[in-house]
Amino acid sequence: MGDTNSNNGNNTNTNNKKPEWLQQYDLLGKIGEGTYGLVFLARIKSSTNRGKSIAIKKFKQSKDGDGVSPTAIREIMLLREISHENVVKLVNVHINHVDMSLYLAFDYAEHDLYEIIRHHRDKVNQPINQYTVKSFLWQLLNGLNYLHSNWIIHRDLKPSNILVMGEGDEQGVVKIADFGLARIYQAPLKSLSDNGVVVTIWYRAPELLLGAKHYTSAVDMWAVGCIFAELLTLKPLFQGAEVKATPNPFQLDQLDKIFKVLGHPTLEKWPTLANLPHWHQDVQHIQGHNDNTGLNSVVHLNIKSPAYDLLSKMLEYDPRKRITAAQALEHEYDFLSSFSLSLSLSSPMNQRISAHTSSKA
Amino acid sequence: MADFQTSTHRANWIFTTQELDDKYNAARQRAIQTLEKYGATLMEVDVDGTLSYPEPQINSKDNADKHSRPKPLTIEEERYMRVFYENKLQEVCNNFHFPHKIQATALIYFKRFYLQWSVMQHHPKNIMLTCIYAACKIEENHVSAEELGKGISQDHQLILNNEMISLEFDLIVYAPYRSIDGFVNDMEEFCPVKDDQLHVLKAIHETARMEVDKIMLTDAPLLFPPGQLALAALRSSNEVHKVLDFERYLRSILSRQSSAHTVSELIESLNSIDSWVRGYKFPSEKDLKHINRKLKSCWGLSSHDESKKREKKSKHKSKKSSNETQSNASLNLTCESLHSPSPQAILNAFY
Repeated sequence: MGDTNSNNGNNTNTNNKKPEWLQQYDLLGKIGEGTYGLVFLARIKSSTNRGKSIAIKKFKQSKDGDGVSPTAIREIMLLREISHENVVKLVNVHINHVDMSLYLAFDYAEHDLYEIIRHHRDKVNQPINQYTVKSFLWQLLNGLNYLHSNWIIHRDLKPSNILVMGEGDEQGVVKIADFGLARIYQAPLKSLSDNGVVVTIWYRAPELLLGAKHYTSAVDMWAVGCIFAELLTLKPLFQGAEVKATPNPFQLDQLDKIFKVLGHPTLEKWPTLANLPHWHQDVQHIQGHNDNTGLNSVVHLNIKSPAYDLLSKMLEYDPRKRITAAQALEHEYDFLSSFSLSLSLSSPMNQRISAHTSSKA
Repeated sequence: MADFQTSTHRANWIFTTQELDDKYNAARQRAIQTLEKYGATLMEVDVDGTLSYPEPQINSKDNADKHSRPKPLTIEEERYMRVFYENKLQEVCNNFHFPHKIQATALIYFKRFYLQWSVMQHHPKNIMLTCIYAACKIEENHVSAEELGKGISQDHQLILNNEMISLEFDLIVYAPYRSIDGFVNDMEEFCPVKDDQLHVLKAIHETARMEVDKIMLTDAPLLFPPGQLALAALRSSNEVHKVLDFERYLRSILSRQSSAHTVSELIESLNSIDSWVRGYKFPSEKDLKHINRKLKSCWGLSSHDESKKREKKSKHKSKKSSNETQSNASLNLTCESLHSPSPQAILNAFY
């Protein structure tokens, strides 16, 4: 990795032609656009991996003229150190000297949970097969457990960041992606809004909404709970309207959506609640005790079912009591049953299921 | 990251002495080849980070004559240059009150860079500043290039131009400082001390951190994992404070980790780290003057050219930074003006 080293031997002043590194790919087109740049689909030309699809994420140069984008650097530095089948694989990094942009080449995953959920909701009009849900959830937890045990918090888990491999060797394998906001625990974790970063609030943990300054791995587990519910119902669980202001606006509507389903948190159940900055803000709404709809009726689960038990442990208010990825993998929610299905789908690996057939007609 | 065992640091950046020598020799040979071909060695780094070889010298016919061609630096002279600028790097970091972790990361980036390139090809002053800049970014202590450049009266465009070439993609670096913290905590349990003796452990901790500062200036960080560097520093520190039976402590660590290493292997590594510290040499003023003269002719620069260039580069506009607090230290970062006081005096000029 690292084309810069190849500069030792030859003049790399390539202003007028397609950069050398890009010549190893056939560029097929733009497939996505994010805050930090564009994503292209490409195919490898070389004989060893001919035809293999690659997603190339192009990072813009940081706006303030301060060199390479810190987001790109964070993503590179973390992904270079980790390797797990449920985490997206960074295959190469390229620098285009002409415009100082960075290119990250990933193994291409054809699907993501956002698209799979939307497909089932809008096109086929039926829930995702429960075994598929189990497999997605297990793989997501498996990848997250790896990250957390390597002291990495993702901080921006949402359906569009959970990729699913399409046709090929790894069909149906879940890959956690987009590490631009991920952090190593030991580094001081400034809150995202302090950094001027905007992420969708629907998957944001209540402690963050209430102004907690420090992130823990529990914020990722809250997001997993929200994603789990969304896989079951095909609708975002807590769809709050976002207050757009800087810095760090108080997201009352998002909290309200959570309270309506889970009830209000109480100091008995969550003792450190009183230390959170926003707890004392808008006391009427925050500290109220109105009736809630009940999580079980929203997700249509029997209150005694293992699925409900697992979901409610992921959506535990107190981050210290919230279930961890490692504990969730051991939960009685019978993850093993999804394996027997995947075996019957002809894939030899136990966690592979056919996402292809379930998401693309 | 918690796991050094699976890190790029361990996989790609810990070498044997032989491998290290080979790399330094190869980098020097590449610089010499450039010198023979172009009559100068300094790589041009453009605004966009592109690299190009020096313009062939006009009197290239003369260059064919071996005697008039600039003489390349020796391996030892290259080492002296790196040593000089690594010290500068520590100074700059101290001056900005950066945490030790940033200093260590920047030092390691600097060392890694000069495994690929010779100081004859890239000016160590620029690379040093770029390494500090990159380390700040990685360690979440963002300082703008402009602020950094301003604080030390250097053109920040140089820092940005170099970021692309010095930016290796193995960015996470394990420094020994955290290992020391961990071992000291562990020692508390290993040899329980009474509350009134806690200052003893504090003392061993402090001395060990200073020992690590010294180790970080040698090649040892490219040869040994950070845990061993930390243990070497703690052993030296323990020789001063005499807190515990160190060999017994090493045995206890190994037995608890069911390590594949024997205690004698570990001690051999620690001895070797110690000898790197003992063998550390800072160049004399005379050495520096001599090396600098050679280096300048390798770079194909006369002092006149250099100043003209700087004038040109600093023309591009820069906004006024509101942060004036860090700009009080203008020091001469090059050793070009070393005909003035001793190196020590220059080091002290910071304070």
